Amino acid sequence: MLKFIAPRLRRPALIAVLGTAYAAAWAVHGGHGRVWAITAEIATVAWAVTMYVWGGRDNEQGALAGSRPDERQRQVAQRSWALTGKAAMLAAFAGLAVSIAVRSADWLPFAVMLAVAGFAYLMGLSTFGVGEEDPAYDDSDGLSGPAPVSHWR
Amino acid sequence: MRNQVREQRTIRGLSQAQVAAALGVSRQTVISIEGGRYLPSLPLAFRIARFFDMTVDKMFDPEDGEADPC
Repeated sequence: MLKFIAPRLRRPALIAVLGTAYAAAWAVHGGHGRVWAITAEIATVAWAVTMYVWGGRDNEQGALAGSRPDERQRQVAQRSWALTGKAAMLAAFAGLAVSIAVRSADWLPFAVMLAVAGFAYLMGLSTFGVGEEDPAYDDSDGLSGPAPVSHWR
Repeated sequence: MRNQVREQRTIRGLSQAQVAAALGVSRQTVISIEGGRYLPSLPLAFRIARFFDMTVDKMFDPEDGEADPC
């Protein structure tokens, strides 16, 4: 998605865009929202610069911040995102259950978050292979023979 | 799962950073592989074996210890 940007700049750029959108939302909100908007933008710039600096370091955080993880670091990041997703889903479920219990009118955002998380999970199963060809399917068309033996050295 | 990465690297007088650069992974990953804390993917296992001019089954010993792929 951000392949046209240099790896080290990808994460800071994403933070800058998302943080600025958040700050803009406060600015549009009006009133005291402008103070929050300025605060959010300052924090965004500081965070983006921090990530850029981290991206140059020779450690795990540096590899992730600099968008140059190897397979192990990518796996660590994927697990962290999986944990994030589970935590978000649990939080949404807890929020939905509590808002229903206390007869709050704010149950809809929690329900939407839960629905989006559930849909994302199903989409992940579909995208990453569960919906592929049945592994039990034998494409040898009834032919059987000895298992192939590798003599590779 | 035991592996021969540390032994072979030491025999050849290479640093972890040199091996990491040759394999296209981070130094931290080489350290994790040597310590047995990370089992490399099959493509990386082949790259490691080829780099040290060995076969994968010589480089990685599945008989020794657990074989948790994660």
